Order: sequence, then C-alpha cells, then structure tokens
Amino acid sequence: MSIEDMHQDLAMMQISDSFFPTGLYANSNGLESIFQNNKKITELEIIGIIKMQLKQQIGPMDLVVMVNALKFASTKEFDKISEIDMKINSMKNIKEVREASKRSGIQLARCVNEFVNDEILEKYLEFYKKGMINGAYSVSFGLCANALGISPQKAGLMFLYGFIVSIVGAASRMGITQHYQAQKIIHDLKPLISQIVGESLDKSTKDIWQFAPHLEILQMHHEKMDSKMFIT
Amino acid sequence: MTQRIPRLGIGGPVGSGKSMLIEKVVPVLAAKGYSISIISNDVISKEDADRMRKNLATDRGLLPENLVIGIATGGCPHTAIREDPSINISVIEEIEEKHPELDLIIIESGGDNITTTFSPSLADYVIYIIDVAGGDKYPRKGGLGIESCDLLVINKIDLAPQVGADLNVMQQDAVRIRKDKPHVFVNCKNNTGIYDVTEHIIKNLLFDSPPKIALSDRQR
Repeated sequence: MSIEDMHQDLAMMQISDSFFPTGLYANSNGLESIFQNNKKITELEIIGIIKMQLKQQIGPMDLVVMVNALKFASTKEFDKISEIDMKINSMKNIKEVREASKRSGIQLARCVNEFVNDEILEKYLEFYKKGMINGAYSVSFGLCANALGISPQKAGLMFLYGFIVSIVGAASRMGITQHYQAQKIIHDLKPLISQIVGESLDKSTKDIWQFAPHLEILQMHHEKMDSKMFIT
Repeated sequence: MTQRIPRLGIGGPVGSGKSMLIEKVVPVLAAKGYSISIISNDVISKEDADRMRKNLATDRGLLPENLVIGIATGGCPHTAIREDPSINISVIEEIEEKHPELDLIIIESGGDNITTTFSPSLADYVIYIIDVAGGDKYPRKGGLGIESCDLLVINKIDLAPQVGADLNVMQQDAVRIRKDKPHVFVNCKNNTGIYDVTEHIIKNLLFDSPPKIALSDRQR
C-alpha cells in the first residue's frame, strides 16, 4: 500500500469516526417517531427500516448527490455543485430533515476547511455565507471527501456507514437494541451497503430520485412531537 | 463579518435549578437593558425551553418568543456542548446573523459534575449549578463541572436544614477544590444570591459593557 493510499484511508477513518463533529449523533432519521408509536420494535424491524431508507431514499438520492458532488469538485465545476445543492434541498420534503442536513453539512465543511486547503471547499463556504447555496450534508460530504483525496467508492462506503451508525446508535440510546445486537445489525447490512455503493458510482444527477412516503409521514410526525431526544 | 455575541454556558444536573436560575437572571439583566437569547439543550423534551419562553417572553415580554430555542441532543447533552458542539454552534451562528443587536446568548445544558464542561468554541463563560439537596459532599467530589467552571452556583440553600447539609462544609470544600475561582450560594425561590450571579456575568463576561441598544432607545 502506498503512502498516498494510507493517507486516504486515514482520512476516511477520521471523517467517518463518530468523534468527527457533525452532530449526526442527534439524528434518528425517523426511528424515534416509530419508537414513540410502538415501543416494541424488533431487530428485524429496525433492519427493515434501514433497508427501506437505503434503497428508497439515502441510496438513490443522497448517495448519488454525494458522489456527483465529489466528482464535480474534482473537476472544479462549481456551477454543477451549486445546482446539485439546490436539487437535493428541493427533494428533501420535510423541513426538519432539510434543516438538519444543512446544519451538519456546513459544520462538516467548516471543520475540514480548518485543516485542509481546498479552493472548491472555500468557495462553497463563501457562497454559503452569502446565502447562495444551502450547504446540504451530502454535497458538503462529497466536497470534503474530494478535498481529503478520498475516492468516490470509499466516500460512498463511509457515507452509508455513517448513516447506518447514526440510526443504530439512536436505537441503542433509546434502549431498543443492546450493544452486541447493534454491531450485528451493522455487520448484516454490509452487503447491502456494498451493493448500493457499487450501483451508484456511475449514476448521474439525472438519475437522482427518492420515494419513501411512509418514512416521510413518520418524519412529519417527528417534526410535531412535543417530547423528543433527536433532531430528526 | 458577523460579530461573536458573548456566550454564557449554564450546566448542571437535572433538577439543580438551571432553568430557574435563567428565569431569575434574565429579568435582572433585561432591566439593565441587555438583550438576550436562550438556547436550551434538553435531554428528553423542549419542556424547559417552552416554560422559559412562556415565563420570560410570552408573559413578561423580556425577549422575543423566537429567541428561546430548544435543541434536542439525541440523548447526548455532554457531547452537544463539549466534543461535538456543532449543532449548538450552527444555531448560534444563525442567531448572530439575524440578531446582531443581542448582548448575550445563554446556552443551557444538563450534565453531571464528572463530565460536564463547555467547549471554549461554544461558551465564553461557564456557570455550573448544583443544589444543596444533593448533599454537602457535592463540591468536595469535584469533577470537570465543579472544578473547571468560571462560577459555581450552589442552589436551594433553604433546604440545607431539611437534608442535613452543612453550608460551611460546602463553602470550605468549594474554596479548596476551586482555588481562587468564585462560587455563590443562591436560593432561586426567593432571589438570594441572584444579584451576585448577574454581577459576575456583567463584570466577567460582558466586561461591564453597556447594552448595544440603550434601554431608553428601546422604549422609545
């Protein structure tokens, strides 16, 4: 393994570590809403919910946006980055989810910008300050991965892994799963992560879609909940 | 560029009186003309934020209702103010952008004495509040919250006789554990010590600066 490869792997570990400050630990991605309605969620149901999100929402939308943002950053096509940022913002129908995505996205970009010099990332943050982009998490993630020299494939794996950890982590904190079970769920989802990443790497911005009405209704309920631990 | 508004972090265990302290301190500061926003990091609900909004904003008009904000922290209030304060910082930056006229932002968070401290990038001055009902051993136990805060507030002193707590012991231990850093005994119920707390905030966080908008201009 070359030094460059090792640096890329270290960057991947750093950015996908839960210690990295993006606030994702405060997202349950709709799981809290389900838990409030039914306190007896099983392991199989959690896996089912995550699979649905991966196949119907995060995979075809957020992941494809992230991979394309990374590629546009590598070719310095800022107009396309701006366009894709607008597109995903308009496709996130739930305000709470949209806002959480922007907040985590901008914090991620700012943090990486503290230790990496990257022209596109800087421009992205400048545009955010001027209110000209939204700062969606998936776009920021792609730009940061590019700035850190991480390949689209590894960035895709990190992106989906981070998403799963945030849901399974939320399940553990709500007492739905215990720690061994949580790790088993993550392990069992590895084939699906690999499959979705593999299928998404060559998709263009025209291929972006999402369709998860059941999940969106749950997210709407979450927005209105009086008592909650999680942002989403 | 947006100017950083002084930020006061208030941490302490559940039930120690964080929200009550804020409800007592804010009217004193508001009477002096300071404009304030409050962010409440709640473990389970937005109950504290809702109560403060009602008591301070809706009922008394001391600040706009939309400047009392509740943040859900995913069950990790320590994380949200310490190693990953990104959610709080993001909300504060939005406030700073929209309300540069503010003099102070108060960030409240629950947390035990062992681990609670605010990231310096989040809070400029930190108050940690404990209460006498936890026993007079509390200051002696130390921990990040008690040792590292700028001001230790010991609340509910009226309960000392009922719970067999010796305030002198608490006083001596607080001095020993915290060295030269100050502490104040308060009873939020009857306002004992509240004036001292606000004086510490004005002197050591606001550096005796006058309000950005003079009270007379605001009333006009």
